[in-house]
Amino acid sequence: MDDHSPLESPEGNWWNRSVNRRETMWLGISGAWALTLFGWMLGWTQVGDQNQIGPTYELSPDAYREKVQAYKQDSGVVTIDGEQLSVPPGTDVYIGALQWAWDGLPVALRPGTEYTFHIGAYDVQHGFSVRHADNLSQQMSLQVLPGYEWVLDMTFDDPGTYHVVCNEFCGTGHRSMHGAFTVADYDDADVTAPDDGGQAAYGGWFTSGARGGTTQNFTGAVDRTGTDATTVTVGAQGNGGPYAFAPAAIQVDPGTTVTFEWVSDTHNLLVDHQPDAGDWGGHTSIENTGFSTEATFETPGVYAYYCDPHVPLGMKGVVEVV
Amino acid sequence: MFGLSTYTYDDEGFRTCNTTGLTIHKSAEDMVKLFGVTGIVALLVGGIFALFVALTRWEIVGLLGAADYYRYLTIHAWYLLIFWMVFMEIAILYVGGNFVLGRRLPLQSLAKAGYALMVGGALLITWGTWTQSVPDQAPLLTSYAPLPSPTEFYLGVDLFLLGALVAALPFLATIWREKREHPNRTLPLITFGAFCTSIVAAEAIVGGLITYVPTLAWRLGYLAHIDPAWYRQMYWIIGHGSQQINLLAMITIWYFMTHVIGGAVVASEKVSRFAFVLYLFFINMGAAHHLMSDPAVGLGWRLWNTSYAAYGAVIASMIHAFAIPAGLEAGRRRKNKGGGLFGWLWSAPWRDPGFSATILSIILFGFLGGITGVMMGQMQLNMTWHNTLAVPGHFHGTVATGTTLAFMGLGYYVVRLVFGREWIGDILATVQPYLYGAAMGVVALMMMYLGVLFGVPRRHPSVMDIPGTAFSFEAATPFFAVFGIFAVLAIIGGGLFLAIAVGSLLFGDPFDGDPRITALRTAAADGGEAPAAPHHQEMRGTFVFVLVFFVTFVVLWALNWVLLAQLWQIGP
Repeated sequence: MDDHSPLESPEGNWWNRSVNRRETMWLGISGAWALTLFGWMLGWTQVGDQNQIGPTYELSPDAYREKVQAYKQDSGVVTIDGEQLSVPPGTDVYIGALQWAWDGLPVALRPGTEYTFHIGAYDVQHGFSVRHADNLSQQMSLQVLPGYEWVLDMTFDDPGTYHVVCNEFCGTGHRSMHGAFTVADYDDADVTAPDDGGQAAYGGWFTSGARGGTTQNFTGAVDRTGTDATTVTVGAQGNGGPYAFAPAAIQVDPGTTVTFEWVSDTHNLLVDHQPDAGDWGGHTSIENTGFSTEATFETPGVYAYYCDPHVPLGMKGVVEVV
Repeated sequence: MFGLSTYTYDDEGFRTCNTTGLTIHKSAEDMVKLFGVTGIVALLVGGIFALFVALTRWEIVGLLGAADYYRYLTIHAWYLLIFWMVFMEIAILYVGGNFVLGRRLPLQSLAKAGYALMVGGALLITWGTWTQSVPDQAPLLTSYAPLPSPTEFYLGVDLFLLGALVAALPFLATIWREKREHPNRTLPLITFGAFCTSIVAAEAIVGGLITYVPTLAWRLGYLAHIDPAWYRQMYWIIGHGSQQINLLAMITIWYFMTHVIGGAVVASEKVSRFAFVLYLFFINMGAAHHLMSDPAVGLGWRLWNTSYAAYGAVIASMIHAFAIPAGLEAGRRRKNKGGGLFGWLWSAPWRDPGFSATILSIILFGFLGGITGVMMGQMQLNMTWHNTLAVPGHFHGTVATGTTLAFMGLGYYVVRLVFGREWIGDILATVQPYLYGAAMGVVALMMMYLGVLFGVPRRHPSVMDIPGTAFSFEAATPFFAVFGIFAVLAIIGGGLFLAIAVGSLLFGDPFDGDPRITALRTAAADGGEAPAAPHHQEMRGTFVFVLVFFVTFVVLWALNWVLLAQLWQIGP
């Protein structure tokens, strides 16, 4: 039999047997390396610029959603490169993750300014994964949990667009969850206060005082009278992504047939309120690009509807029969 | 069991192995066959699903749509990360305990009951995942609350975990009886390793039950709320703990295989056992590295668990990284199988798939899996790795190259030494570990590049076409092409193993000893003068290897910090 076999009980006082010189050296190297790794990590919290450290607050997803809505109401609007971006009222930036969108984005940030990011989720776990559009290796990810608000400081030096994707599985629409923010110098004079005047129409349906967020793509009702068939696009660009009904509000004659056409994924139509005699059922199941449904509106009055997944972002619409 | 074996037992039910000299009882051998063959079936199923997953992420092919992809990914993950591994590990406990100690398997009915629970649980998990419908989502590996998974899934996990715990009891009873009979006899190193594996496994499984029993109650409506932060912390006790069972089982197999095929000895009983004990204390806390980029856990908690606790386990792994090649070097030098710096390696049996699979497993695990695990376990570096494709890259380095190759190597010897069949396939059997190891190694590397350099997220069916935006990860296309080609090659390599293993069981000639291994053993016995003890042997070759490893480690670590420093300022 082979002695010193791992299949045999070692004989004698094996604990006191000496260890090979090179094995001893390797033990020393390993120990020193472990201390170095530890020391470096600790030291980086003191001298390094990248430390995911910041307070966490426990609060209900609904309470966090209200915080984000209040923040959005106070935000201004600036147009950079043809894109409407919201401007945070101070240096606090609120971001809410939901199935399947980023509430609070897109936002305009100034380079070199330290912003305090507040990150939370409304429904399930998400991943806040951010990268610079021109340099994909400049990227990082943070976990987002419902029931927790994580507060982290961030300063961006490189101007440009930063893309946000979700990288924690959050349901079948997970891959469509995209947002962005822009780091650019902008003139304070170009920032306009959020225009809530127009949104006050229809009993404030398009403001965040009603269900969900403010409908930014609502700029007054579009006249579609004088025809017996018209179309509304579902999931058009607006409200920070493909989260708009276009037009947001239409005026039609009684008996008009409206066709709703899906041009992006994971939207539905739920009716918030309609005339007492109205019998529109909306379209409750979630549909993708290419789907369409139609409805004929007979009774005069306001039919207010919304997309359930994206109403926090302001995806709301109106058909007004005049 | 199965009636495929060519071996016969004496009246007591024992036989002596013609290669290892171990005394093996039929009761233990039957269960090793049962669990081992079931593990191989899991490898087959998981491997088939790997093809669908790889061909979806390789978007030129883009096989599956989103909803299907998540279901296929779930099956792939559970069959390979959990079922293939845990069935093999129960078999390894019986080998490391009952085979090595030469004892019959006590409480055989518990082994069978555990097996039935595990199979039932696995089938329920499969059924729940396959028939999943809204509001439930595919569980993937993690089933993060509050995203609901099918009720059958949670129930299946509970049953599977319970079954694994029950199936480990006969092993623990074996150790108990051995120590009662021989209180002053030290356990052989292999048995000691298996024993440490069982303790780490028990910790992981109990953690898993603490996670999944309340989660089942929540899914059924008996509990109103599951805190996602609590779920994550508890889940990772089993989520990563299960992979730590793999680590300990794999290291035990490394000691076993290098000894049986290569003639390795134990370089130092004290050092190797000390390393196993370090795992017992530290490796489960190391699982905290999954929460490095999470809210709800503080800086102190994160630093404690990734540094103090994780490095206890890292040192243990670095010790084994020296001790195993050093044991091989010392053992072969004692048997005059090599002079010079690397003569002991040149003369090694590289055509033996059991040997090459083991050595490739050690190298690939260390360089691809081990180093990357330490890097992403550093709190700040974790931000650049978290939830990117680099994370699956890391665990394909550990599990798909490291543990799977080690278990394939063991599988070759289960065919020979347990079923008594010689391998079919000849040159194909020689080539298989190299094909699989090299291809899977490239796959793991590509996933890491894609994750860290391009920030490509894991768990996406497509990243070249993100609905609703012009933004995409198109720059990463060439890396995905390499990934796709080598993934297909790796799956072919894995399929080749299955074909050889199953073909040998059915059609292989009886195995009556390998003359080379017999010669190795007689060289040890007829050495004339007893050669010097292992710790007096030269370990120069090993030292050169570990220095190369160390330099690679330091360089890759530094590069990761350079990359992190390019990032914008985050935190105070």
